[in-house]
Amino acid sequence: MGLPRLVAGEEWKAEVRAIPDNITTPIRCLILACGNTTRSDDGVGPYLAEWAAERFRNNADVRVVSRQQWTPELAEEVAAADSVLFVDSSVSSTPGHVRLIPVEAKAGNSGVATHHLDAHELLGLTQALYGSRSAHAMLLTVGTGSTEFGETFSERVEAALPRAQGILEEAVLRFLED
Amino acid sequence: MSQTITIDPVTRLEGHGKITIQLNSQGEVEDAHFHITQVRGFERFSQGRPFYEMPGLMARICGICPVSHLLASAKACEAIMSVRIPHTAAQLRRMLNLAQLVQSHALSFFHLSSPDLLLGMDSDPANRHILGVAAANPKLGLAGIALRRFGQNIIELLAGKRVHPGWVVPGGVTEPLDAAKRDKILALIPEAYANVGLALGAYKQIADKFKAEIEVFANFPSNYLSLINEDESFEITDGALRLIDAKGKTIEDGMTASRFTEAIGEAVEPYSYTKFPYYKALGYPEGSYRVGPLARLNIVKTMGTPQANKELAGFKKLATGPVESSFHQHHARLVEALYGIEKIEEILADPKILDKHVRATAGVNRLEGAGQIEAPRGTLNHYYKVDEDGKITWANLIVATGHNNNAMNKGVLQASKAYVKDGKFTEGALNRIEAVVRTFDPCLSCSTHAFGQMPLVVTLLSADGEVVDRVARD
Repeated sequence: MGLPRLVAGEEWKAEVRAIPDNITTPIRCLILACGNTTRSDDGVGPYLAEWAAERFRNNADVRVVSRQQWTPELAEEVAAADSVLFVDSSVSSTPGHVRLIPVEAKAGNSGVATHHLDAHELLGLTQALYGSRSAHAMLLTVGTGSTEFGETFSERVEAALPRAQGILEEAVLRFLED
Repeated sequence: MSQTITIDPVTRLEGHGKITIQLNSQGEVEDAHFHITQVRGFERFSQGRPFYEMPGLMARICGICPVSHLLASAKACEAIMSVRIPHTAAQLRRMLNLAQLVQSHALSFFHLSSPDLLLGMDSDPANRHILGVAAANPKLGLAGIALRRFGQNIIELLAGKRVHPGWVVPGGVTEPLDAAKRDKILALIPEAYANVGLALGAYKQIADKFKAEIEVFANFPSNYLSLINEDESFEITDGALRLIDAKGKTIEDGMTASRFTEAIGEAVEPYSYTKFPYYKALGYPEGSYRVGPLARLNIVKTMGTPQANKELAGFKKLATGPVESSFHQHHARLVEALYGIEKIEEILADPKILDKHVRATAGVNRLEGAGQIEAPRGTLNHYYKVDEDGKITWANLIVATGHNNNAMNKGVLQASKAYVKDGKFTEGALNRIEAVVRTFDPCLSCSTHAFGQMPLVVTLLSADGEVVDRVARD
């Protein structure tokens, strides 16, 4: 197996591609969660992802991905989806507060961050690399009460889970209708 | 009046560190240090655990190079068991290690360093990151993501998950490879070749723009350490260590993991939680050495795969003896990534890679054991002692970033002297000083451990940089 011809000049600045070649299955809706299940309320993203995977297990239009953090490689998943629902905990919201907001792509301030991105930055990276724009991009967050070591939720986050599940379900069904 | 300049945190590194630069009253750089400010404690809390738990525990030191710790730990356990693992298991582990090498080098080159290389060291810091690269050069951004994906997909196919995988256990691996997975990995290879070729081509054009940086980015003679095969070819999983001096002459060869624990000492400095390994026979700091891609390519005579061999020949032309400037680590990483792809393809071509016998079993047969590996950043050694029941009584890790500690500090000082003049500096100058550290691709999460008592100095500086108070705990 030989190397392709090594490029010269400006040839390597090529056109963007719409959908990554390796993602074989474009999807109507991507649910993309992040969080650490060993840091108490920071695990709410993976928890909701697991719930969503079960809720939509018979729906081929929905893909659920859960990671400890959002890394640049996930731009490929986002690019292949018509709509994306990001799911995460939030330290800037009051504990247990459930929030659903639109996500705008941005360049971000990743001078300090190395390989993890927030939802806005990941969307920005997706657009920069793949030229694709989601029909819908929303971020669902649950305010954290505790990020201490542990695998259970704080009382207020535990109480907020049914509401978060309801908002998640409603958002996904709305995406699928469009 | 003297002044201290602090860069905190140092950006685009794995983990947390800071740099302090001490100016004299004439505004000239007098000294500089790279401080690693994290404390992890893995060597301490693993005491009392059964030795066979260690690979899984140690993989959690780091989310970037867990495979390295998994493998080094497993090898230390196998020394305690006194087993030789099946050949197929060794090859499977080699493939896992190579996949990690490719994805880690892709992260370092594309995500951490390419913003400087493509956008310029003096470019707007608001854009000097992976999104800036993606906006300016989408194809290169895509190549970086794809190469990371290549390595991570292979790790996931072999070991079950991308971060903190299992599968590697004392004695071998838990499951053989099947034909379906082998074919999935093979299908990933053509794109990987294309992407690393793109990166190499782009880098070779860019490198000429950084002649000034090459001169002062940790550009000094040093000793070098790395694994090597008996035929002097590139090796990152087995083999033995070779230490060479600044002229390329061998100081010691054939260093096994247990010999390493005798030959290498560890010094402690008050300004960092990372230890400073050195070759005992030469003393400290004269026995300090560098590890990682630059060291590896300086030490080997051949890569052992055809395309990487051609690239190695080009790399070695950068100097008449060992290549000294740490800037060239970027080039070395891409050569190693190419090797990784070639070697994975070669391993998969052997039908024996599907053999079912992939694990040896035994209990405690020795009360201590050491294992060594080349992590993407350099040599990694795990050394354990156990009781008769196999419970860990003592553990010591010497990690790549620790080996490079002395060189990173010297590099920071060299760059500081080049770019900080008359007490004045630009944002680009400070970025260059950080960029020196980035050439080593340090993993600060791995490299912080306690050694005896922990020296702690807190220096209080006033707004104009004057030292107001200093508190020390020895």
